[in-house]
Amino acid sequence: MPGVLPPATAPWPERRRRALADPTMRAAVAKTTRNLAQGKASAYASYPPGEAMRVRAVTARRSALAHIDALLEELTGNVEAHGGYVVRAAGPADVGRYVLDIARRRGAERVVKSKSMATEEIALNEQLEAAGLRVRETDLGEYIIQLARERPSHILAPAAHKTRGQIEALFEREAARTGVTPPTCDATPELTAFARRQLREEFLAADVGITGGNFLVAETGTLVLITNEGNGRMTTSLPPVHIAVVGIDKVVATWADLAVLLQQAPLSGTGQLISTYTSFITGPRRPGELDGPEEFHLVLLDNGRHELLGTEYEDVLTCIRCGACLNVCPVFRTIGGQAYGSIYSGPIGVVLTPLLGGLDHAPELPKSACAMCHACRDACPMEIELPRYILKLRRTEIEKSMEPLTVRLTFELWGRLWASPAGYRWTARLARLGQRAFMRKGRLTKAPGLVGGWTATRDSPPVAKETFHEWWRRRKPGSLT
Amino acid sequence: MPTMTRAQLFVSCLVDLFRPRAGIAAVQVLERRDIELEVPPGQTCCGQFAYNAGHHREAAAMGRQFVRAFEASGANGSPADPLPLIALSGSCAAMVKIEMPELLERDALRQGRTSATAARWRRRAETLAGRVVEFSEWLDGHDSLTPFDVASPEPAASESLQVVCHTGCHMRRLLGVTEPPLRALRRAGVEPLELIDADQCCGFGGSFGLIEPDISAAMTDAKLAHLATARSEGATCLVSADLGCLMQLGGRLSRRGDQFPTLHLAELVDLADQGRLTAAEIERAAHGQGGNA
Repeated sequence: MPGVLPPATAPWPERRRRALADPTMRAAVAKTTRNLAQGKASAYASYPPGEAMRVRAVTARRSALAHIDALLEELTGNVEAHGGYVVRAAGPADVGRYVLDIARRRGAERVVKSKSMATEEIALNEQLEAAGLRVRETDLGEYIIQLARERPSHILAPAAHKTRGQIEALFEREAARTGVTPPTCDATPELTAFARRQLREEFLAADVGITGGNFLVAETGTLVLITNEGNGRMTTSLPPVHIAVVGIDKVVATWADLAVLLQQAPLSGTGQLISTYTSFITGPRRPGELDGPEEFHLVLLDNGRHELLGTEYEDVLTCIRCGACLNVCPVFRTIGGQAYGSIYSGPIGVVLTPLLGGLDHAPELPKSACAMCHACRDACPMEIELPRYILKLRRTEIEKSMEPLTVRLTFELWGRLWASPAGYRWTARLARLGQRAFMRKGRLTKAPGLVGGWTATRDSPPVAKETFHEWWRRRKPGSLT
Repeated sequence: MPTMTRAQLFVSCLVDLFRPRAGIAAVQVLERRDIELEVPPGQTCCGQFAYNAGHHREAAAMGRQFVRAFEASGANGSPADPLPLIALSGSCAAMVKIEMPELLERDALRQGRTSATAARWRRRAETLAGRVVEFSEWLDGHDSLTPFDVASPEPAASESLQVVCHTGCHMRRLLGVTEPPLRALRRAGVEPLELIDADQCCGFGGSFGLIEPDISAAMTDAKLAHLATARSEGATCLVSADLGCLMQLGGRLSRRGDQFPTLHLAELVDLADQGRLTAAEIERAAHGQGGNA
């Protein structure tokens, strides 16, 4: 079954306009991405085993996909053997129903969450809030975004586009709303201290903790969470119920496979050797244990993933959400993540959004959010052929006649003419005649049709009075046969 | 005197139509190095623009013409001694070397041709792909054939010249050619500078640049901001082995009323060959006033 993603917040021209008109966001995103990309490069350079492990990690991920059904079965058996519950969810509504059932049964009112793309993907917060639950994001960036009622601008750094001043203003508003002391200034320690005080109360009062999961180890039924703030630990140990919502693609066979994978996300994403916190969660609290929830639920989310298995796009499911492709993407650096109109942004978002949510979800992404520079292919630790996937999506959209008729006719005519030297020369002569009307000071400053897109922001030299081939023929008479 | 070597010149449609003097400069540079050049007259476009836009039917039509053109006038040479096909664009070279064999095979099958015919198209394209050499890469391997300073033993005036070199994304990532243009510049006696974030796209991106002119220009402006830093440190011009990038960067400069010189690598090497590598000559060449055209 195809999946469902949250709809774009506004049409593409509006999202693009907003992004380009926000110099603060653009500067912040450019700076963050450049720092993260450089961090990745120096992390691998200073840690020689990282590259060999990466190669083995690619094999581990691809092999897990090849055996995914058996692994999910093994995983399920092992989670249940440890006293956890496992449920398969086809899409957003299934997850919402399941979580709300638990909440009702437990009489739960307050939910804390650690950062999770899977729950963003199914708009779980909105589903729970609509049912009257109070949901609090506890990752600092997600907390900021939640207060601002925005969507993340970066997979790893959801609030990368926010300045400290903007964050202070949000916190002041929140302090007034909850009747607590606001931060005294916009210094980072002061802001984090405020968030820490607020979130500590949330953790203690929460009835349910919801997380995603970075990996699932089939052989022991273990959920693996990597975080940098420790909020994941609080979310999974303080509330009496822990629900993990994890894409089926996150399963790996063994701890040996996990061992080569575990460092790849921090190495590629933030340039760390290992995340600050790595949590392995195998079932709920057992008799005699002091910590941990009374109930542990693992929701295995499909939402269009299973359908990609066996297709030419299968490798996209090996993505570990490290964000490395975002950090090197020139388009992402220019417009930031919110412009993509999808919770998945950057090159992986251009690919994953239509593959999970359907081609109609944000049909502009493949052609408008990619300069085909191939930087993402080099950056991806899982060697996902992102540029080739984007090109395939462009082709598919053309085959489905999803582009304007004028564009298609232009390409058809152009293809026919330039498939022969006579046609090619004819277009050169025609352009030379036609371009006079569009020239200023020897440059083309306006043009009709597709080329008008060029002259909207750039000049062009005119088609030369004498082309190279004309020069060559003049120089070597008789050479043109 | 070394013996004459033959090679074919793959001009690219952009050089042919918009900057013929870059092609003319390349001819001078190569002939000075005792290359007997053939310019297959049937060459039009390699199809890269249509290919990356997703219009593969059109790209294949141009691709087949490309194969016919370069097979027809030059023959392929022998397997042991293939005839080099020197490309004046890194991204077009990548198109022919990397994408074209698969494209032509797939398109033949789409047209309902037999698999034998489709495989034949693939082989023809592969043979061609094996012959393609990007211009700076060719210079890198052959500049030792003849002394570089053909006309002038010591171009003293150029010693302190600093030149910004932009390597296009496909040349950098698909061909893996990054050092040869820098070495060509050093041999020419200039100091190559790379911009901050040199590996970031200039903003052109083929069809992307036409569909999204504002995002494209914003990307270019980021590059031009780094160029401004290089200029304040003494850079005299911007050089690239890809005319697409040059037209993007130069076109944006021009739109901003800035006449900073942009040159194809061949034009700069041509000036150096003649001992004319001065700021004034670069200026003249960039704006089409000097040289051979």
